[in-house]
Amino acid sequence: MLAEQLWGDFCIFTTLREPFAVILMGVEVLALIYRNLRARPIRSILTLLGIVVSTASMVLFLSFGEGLRKALGAELSTVGPAVLVLPEGVEAFSPGYPELRPDIVEALKNSAPELGISQVIPYVVLTRGGFDPQSAFVFQGLPDGIGPQALYPNLALAEGTPIPGPQGAVVGSRLAERNQLSLGKLLRLSPSVSLRVEGILKPNGGLSDNIIYVPARVVQAALGTRNYTAAAVGVSAGFTASQVAKAIQARMAGVSAQTTSDVMRFAERAVRISDLVRFGISLVALVVGGLLVANTVMMSVYERIREFGLMRALGAKQGFIFGLVLLEALLLGVVGGLLGLILGQAASGLVNWFTGREVGLALSAVTFRLASFALLVAVVLGLLAGFLPARTASRLKVVEALGRL
Amino acid sequence: MLEAINLYKRYQQGEIDVVAVDHLTYRFPAGLTAVVGPSGSGKTTLLNLLAGFDVPTEGEVRLGNIPLSALSEDDRSELRLKHMGFVFQQWNLIPTLTALENVAFPMMLASIALKERTARAAALLEAVGLGPRGKHLPNRLSGGEQQRVAIARALALNPPILFADEPTGNLDSVSGARVMELLLQQAREGRTVILVTHDLELARKAGRILHLRDGRLVRVEEVSPVSAAEASF
Repeated sequence: MLAEQLWGDFCIFTTLREPFAVILMGVEVLALIYRNLRARPIRSILTLLGIVVSTASMVLFLSFGEGLRKALGAELSTVGPAVLVLPEGVEAFSPGYPELRPDIVEALKNSAPELGISQVIPYVVLTRGGFDPQSAFVFQGLPDGIGPQALYPNLALAEGTPIPGPQGAVVGSRLAERNQLSLGKLLRLSPSVSLRVEGILKPNGGLSDNIIYVPARVVQAALGTRNYTAAAVGVSAGFTASQVAKAIQARMAGVSAQTTSDVMRFAERAVRISDLVRFGISLVALVVGGLLVANTVMMSVYERIREFGLMRALGAKQGFIFGLVLLEALLLGVVGGLLGLILGQAASGLVNWFTGREVGLALSAVTFRLASFALLVAVVLGLLAGFLPARTASRLKVVEALGRL
Repeated sequence: MLEAINLYKRYQQGEIDVVAVDHLTYRFPAGLTAVVGPSGSGKTTLLNLLAGFDVPTEGEVRLGNIPLSALSEDDRSELRLKHMGFVFQQWNLIPTLTALENVAFPMMLASIALKERTARAAALLEAVGLGPRGKHLPNRLSGGEQQRVAIARALALNPPILFADEPTGNLDSVSGARVMELLLQQAREGRTVILVTHDLELARKAGRILHLRDGRLVRVEEVSPVSAAEASF
């Protein structure tokens, strides 16, 4: 019964039968709504601004998740070896103290032909500094005779040598630019270890532009261990990454073999959780925006009681009035949503300009999926905000509305 | 034919029961019928009941064979749209619509095509002497002009019944006379025009006058034989 009643309220043009007439009348009703909003310009603009800001903040908040997904996808697509072997319980993007023992790396190399492995590149990661990209340094220690192009085939050399010598370093382009590094300059890995810049890479547009590639032994010495952070494993022809990963898992205890799609899945899980947190925060802005619309439309209904009474007296049905008020809220929601989307996109562009300059990554992205979601939220917001005022307006008694008691 | 049958309306005003219309029976013929009486005599309540804005406590209003109180709110709206036109004393026009759009509004509700309704609205405005004022918003029109727009709107769907509630109440004598002439013209063309007024002089222009007091119909006065019909109550 309630559903029927609500549907009855929603079917605003009940006197019309032909679709063309419905569209034509819809356009005229929209013009009527536009006139009403224009009649109270300041209030309409302030309400619109409320929705614009709340939608833009939601778009910007959620764009970080989308940007992260895109950046991770782009990063992983540049990695050559298809399988990553990590100590059990460690995820690809959160390496801690190196725990992958050299004997495991050796065992991997020894079993390479039967497991379908074409190459094993163990590496060790050391980070220095904090969250400030200007003072944060990531050292990736590679085996002797191996350069960064073995891990990231797209990397190209700008000057110097591509493979770091025993006390040398090859640096990413953005890092070199940011720190004004040139060939021959000294880099301090630890208080007792300094390395000379021997090669500078061309820009690649990813995280690899911010890494310092050094010999693994130097990093291990600085950390006081012989362990590695992970081992990148290439797949032989005739095998798939997933087959190799499964074979490694089955053969070796204490390690986790992850393909790029596994890594992407883990990352997606983490990003989704952070999406929820960010959506929760932006929900506050959305609720405020929704209440703003509801308040404006309700005030408008009270101000226009006589007008609605007159319409009813002239023959307008309850559904017509309901639709008129609901569409007003919807129009505010949709227009505010669209403008909010544009503002969110602009803010996202600004964030990307900043992060691009700092770390060479676009961390924010307004994807089609996000844009559609934001518009859907704005539409639902408009509908929810307009429902109660619309119901109130449509149920006014003509005699009361016209003050004819 | 619009008919009030033993119409009775009682409502609560604070703690007091007020009988606004007290067992009134009358069949409204074509032509102009004025409803007069002192303030609080039940004139406006009677119009509310006759137009289906409100439902009676007892008795019924019939339009032909249709009892209005048996209809839903929406059905009464549709019936008003097709069979009735209204001119009120104030709050007559939709403030955000131009004069032309106000006249065309009932035609929009009746799904008449835009071109046709615009042409018809323009012709109606021309007929009430407001042809050049079609694009003006109500706040740019004088009280008399607004009432004439309301008359044009009331005629938009060519309804057989017109209600006018104190239509000249806020107007100067010249504007009032012009509005009254337009209403009389409708009555002469065969419509049932029900004029609610407290102005007895104005009411004298009608074919018959219903005198109300304390909600009761106390007298039916035949003024002119031109459009008079047999009174029954």
